Amino acid sequence: MKAQNVRTLFLVLSVVFYLLLGAAVFDALETESESSRKEALEHKLGELKRKYGFLEEDYREVERVILQSEPHRGGRQWKFSGSFYFAITVVTTIGYGHVVPLTDAGKTFCMFYAVLGIPLTLIMFQSLGERINTLVRYLLRRAKRGLGLRETEVSLGNMVLVGLLSCVGTLCVGAAAFSHFEDWTFFNAYYYCFVTLTTIGFGDLVALKKTDALQRRPPYVAFCFVYILVGLTVTGAFLNLVVLRFLTVSSDARTAEREDEQLLTEEDESDAADGGRSRLTLPVEEGGSCVSLVSFPSDDLRLIGPERSKPPKPNRLGDLICCWCRGLGVCGSSSDLQREHTGGHSNPVFYTSVSYRVDRVSRAASPHASPSAVALCWERNYRHSRRSSF
Amino acid sequence: MKRQNARTLALIVSILTYLVVGAAVFETLESKQEKTHKRRLDARKYELMRKFNLTKANFEELELVVLQLKPHKAGVQWKFAGSFYFAITVITTIGYGHAAPSTDSGKMFCMFYALLGIPLTLVMFQSLGERINTFVRYLLHQAKKCLGMRQTEVSMANMVTVGFFSCLSTLCVGGAAFSHCEGWSFLHAFYYCFITLTTIGFGDYVALQRDDALQNDPRYVAFCFVYILMGLTVIGAFLNLVVLRFLTMNTEDERRDAKQKALMTVGKPRGEVARLLPLSTSTSSTVVANNATKAKDLKGAYTEVLHFQTICSCLWYRSKEKLQGSIPTMIPQEMTFSDAYLQQNSNCPHYMDPGST
Repeated sequence: MKAQNVRTLFLVLSVVFYLLLGAAVFDALETESESSRKEALEHKLGELKRKYGFLEEDYREVERVILQSEPHRGGRQWKFSGSFYFAITVVTTIGYGHVVPLTDAGKTFCMFYAVLGIPLTLIMFQSLGERINTLVRYLLRRAKRGLGLRETEVSLGNMVLVGLLSCVGTLCVGAAAFSHFEDWTFFNAYYYCFVTLTTIGFGDLVALKKTDALQRRPPYVAFCFVYILVGLTVTGAFLNLVVLRFLTVSSDARTAEREDEQLLTEEDESDAADGGRSRLTLPVEEGGSCVSLVSFPSDDLRLIGPERSKPPKPNRLGDLICCWCRGLGVCGSSSDLQREHTGGHSNPVFYTSVSYRVDRVSRAASPHASPSAVALCWERNYRHSRRSSF
Repeated sequence: MKRQNARTLALIVSILTYLVVGAAVFETLESKQEKTHKRRLDARKYELMRKFNLTKANFEELELVVLQLKPHKAGVQWKFAGSFYFAITVITTIGYGHAAPSTDSGKMFCMFYALLGIPLTLVMFQSLGERINTFVRYLLHQAKKCLGMRQTEVSMANMVTVGFFSCLSTLCVGGAAFSHCEGWSFLHAFYYCFITLTTIGFGDYVALQRDDALQNDPRYVAFCFVYILMGLTVIGAFLNLVVLRFLTMNTEDERRDAKQKALMTVGKPRGEVARLLPLSTSTSSTVVANNATKAKDLKGAYTEVLHFQTICSCLWYRSKEKLQGSIPTMIPQEMTFSDAYLQQNSNCPHYMDPGST
């Protein structure tokens, strides 16, 4: 089976298994508490019903009034600040549900609003996250240099550590603030921040619901909005660093053809210019090159000086991931590569299979032969399979 | 200003504008209704209080009990079926909130569960979505061929159209199903499906809350779970097709900038490097030794940029280790690398460049 299919199947099975596992654990943790609470509440309700002499319809009526009045308890929810809060919960997909549009027109507008707003917000957070990661990388390198460390390059491990600490820091700051302003325990406030910044947004705990805060305390309202947006940026930056590379982009066949032409012409031009040395450019057009998510160390080639004896420090985190890739046994054999089509070339697994194949052709002699061989073999296969597609 | 920075700034400004505009529109649509609704409810509340001779304190007590009982009304929420439903709402980040962990250990586990589950689910949906897009492209290509069309290539527009209509029909199918099974109007059921599949998940409409469906109607329960997961796959495939490429724009630009910067300063490649690349049989021996140190510095900066954008750079290192550790997969030593490579290249004549001159 093709490598991408195996990988996808494995992921689907993992998620299903993960759901089953989660269900079992939540069942174990919550069922008993749920049933005992339910008993207690129903008992209490029975008492109150008897005390006030409610008939069943009476109680239904009271219940209806109470449930529908609930969102109003926090004050006016649809004035500008409340609507802004709601708009945030829509485009960030948090969706507390503490207030929801009741009119049909509101519901319809909400849907159209989300259709444009959600992708826009996704792109914005990733864009901003990438900028932040670049800045952090720069700062870390300066710091390393300033501290006089020998190795001033910033590794992925460094970045992941910093990202992780920022996320935890953001959650703690939020927890402290909300536990103070909303009078929650620190744990509940932390849970609220976590649920918000992962955009789950249960709505069991919601800020700004107490006693007309939306109208009466504008600085606190501003703080909440800023916290949510900044927090999502920090989380987005961390996701950009860690998760985005695993998301494979669908390629476009026509763009592939165009890129092929481009590569050829580029090569011809640079051949003439550089005196025969062709350029191994990766197509990074915005038309949706599926290789954009993964760059190959072949780019290092041109800068590898002949006197360089020490290879760059291996990336340990990457090692783990690669070893995971390989351990799955999804490294394709050479025959697989011939059948490889355009889809999902940016799979790390695909490159795994290419390099696996290259092991068989490269020489032992030059340590540099490997990356160049890998790069060229990749190039050749990439183009070959592109040609053979559609 | 650098392109990435300008782009990021523009996006921030657009989002803020979008939020402000949205807030204004929502206010116009909902605020008046809210006022009348509240007034009516308050009036009814006072009526009831008078009718049953309730004091404010009494009513507040009643309120508390009723509100706490609300999730229980919909049936047992934490038996296996309900927990599975809950687990889905966590890792897909839908998060209705119809049931939320009340115990501290439940909340704690929920957080750890989400920490691993959400990225796993994201990667899974995108992976599956990409496979589906590839498959659809293949089918479309075959269809175009069968219909005897001249242009049998599947364009982006074709794919987007197909994707869009799949999403719309998924929502409509869900709308029809849930309006029938839950007794909602079609618009409300459609709205429910939309809010669910975009993972917003308000919780104003939640399936499986009527008549203890979670325990009594396993087939409907299965349908709901399958619908949610498949619907998210369809939406995920569409996002994979249309949006995902934009999420890496800045990263690509960074890489391109770094490359250009490195190339401009390093200058022409040395002969050694040229020798390594068999495509160029140019024997230009201009070893630019004085550029070496500059190259090293820049290489440092450049590789830094690439290091953690390269998912499997370790593969190179590991295969390099393998090479040095004499894995018996090497070609015979008498063949030069170029020859071996050219041999492999026999079926790609257009790529083979036997030297510029």
